[in-house]
Amino acid sequence: MTDSALAVNTAQTMAAPLADTKITVRNLHFYYNGFHALKGINMDIPEKKVTAIIGPSGCGKSTLLRIFNRIYAIYPKLEAKGDIVLDGENILDPGYSMNRLRSKVGMVFQKPVPFPMTIFENVAYGIRHHEKLSKSDMEGRVEQALRSAALWDEVKDKLKQNALGLSGGQQQRLCIARAIALKPEVLLLDEPTSALDPIATSRIEQLVEELKSEFTIVIVTHNMQQAARCSDLTAFMYMGELIEFDNTEKIFTKPGKKQTEDYITGRFG
Amino acid sequence: MSSTGKEHIIKSYDGELTRLTGEIVRMGELSVSQLEAAIDVIDRRDERAAQRVVGNDDAIDQLEQEISHDVVRLLALRAPMAGDLRNVFAALRIAADIERIGDYAANVAKRSIPLSMVAPVAPTAGLGYLAELAATEVRDVLLAYRDQNAEKAYQVWKDDAELDDAYTGYFRQLLTYMMEDPRNITPCTHLLFMAKNIERIGDHATNIAENVWFQVTGEPLNKQRTKRDFTSNPELGKLGE
Repeated sequence: MTDSALAVNTAQTMAAPLADTKITVRNLHFYYNGFHALKGINMDIPEKKVTAIIGPSGCGKSTLLRIFNRIYAIYPKLEAKGDIVLDGENILDPGYSMNRLRSKVGMVFQKPVPFPMTIFENVAYGIRHHEKLSKSDMEGRVEQALRSAALWDEVKDKLKQNALGLSGGQQQRLCIARAIALKPEVLLLDEPTSALDPIATSRIEQLVEELKSEFTIVIVTHNMQQAARCSDLTAFMYMGELIEFDNTEKIFTKPGKKQTEDYITGRFG
Repeated sequence: MSSTGKEHIIKSYDGELTRLTGEIVRMGELSVSQLEAAIDVIDRRDERAAQRVVGNDDAIDQLEQEISHDVVRLLALRAPMAGDLRNVFAALRIAADIERIGDYAANVAKRSIPLSMVAPVAPTAGLGYLAELAATEVRDVLLAYRDQNAEKAYQVWKDDAELDDAYTGYFRQLLTYMMEDPRNITPCTHLLFMAKNIERIGDHATNIAENVWFQVTGEPLNKQRTKRDFTSNPELGKLGE
């Protein structure tokens, strides 16, 4: 993918998606209670890459992330207009099954929220909703998910213990294991390390690095160093608009827009 | 120094970047003064003054260390990004170039001592012209750095060809003198080394210009520069044949 191919051009609202694009966002508007939260977003999120979304509080980055799995649909008076095309199908189409969407797009939130059940059950719970597996197959799937989330070695001897007994960092990796146990194609991470200490944060970042060979990852973060460290592409949003979307290296060494530079160099205000 | 015209939310960060720019400019001015002082002691044939110039190079080295320390501190504590990152990166590289310029100026002063111990030779006067060109280059590139003026830096980068031309001409002149009278060989050899040092100062000024260009534009200055130092051309050696 070339720099120019990535450049955001709001005029090209219906431009064809790029060949290795996993999610195509076209002319996306979002409203809640009459507030225009996203204003014509266009972006192509590439497959099996890490895309970071940065921007000040209230810029719409978490809103955008939450539209990718239509989590907003559980609240009234929220409305999304435009297209979000995942593998050729518009997920905003009311006919697109929510169950199918949730199995394709996993999400991990800012604060780890394990279910009040055993470590094993936390991972198995979601799988049971989608598939009927034998006991040994289920054990295999749970182990695989915990291994992928780099948690297996720490919990393999206490799978029957309550997940709430794990440390914050372990809980967050458990949430990632829970999300990837459903074998999603896209993983949405909403400030996944903001409640974690630096060591737990490094573990999650290392995990993101490992997981990108299997998943398309979109991460919202307030930590710009984190975006710089673990993403391939970075999108900068401000007041509901996508200001700049480009290769991470370019955004952090030579951003194209002054607003981006002011934000990442700490001159925003 | 602001890369976008706005101040940082954290004011002390601006203070640290401004301090860094100030240190570079001060270091650069010191190196130009050293070069001018070196030329002056040649004319005066003053050994003690020459030794003072050599000794003064320590101040430039000291400034370079302070800049390195400030750069490491900024990188560790501020984690600069984008224009700030280029600013800090350029400062480190420019400081290294100025340090070399200081070394060359001190070398010129050092060689003036043996030169003052033999009878004066006519081409000594020509060295002043070379030094003037080099000092102008360094001064101009420092202004370009201070004002963040990429075009001015580019002009310096191009103008170095003039110094190369002058150096080639001077080299040719010294060869002629040495061929004319073997007694000229000792002073002319010293002058040749001194001229080469001054020519190298010009090269470091162009390095600084490249760093200013990168700092301002974010792109390497990869235009083709005309190198006009032809002294390594074998044809020059056949001057007397």
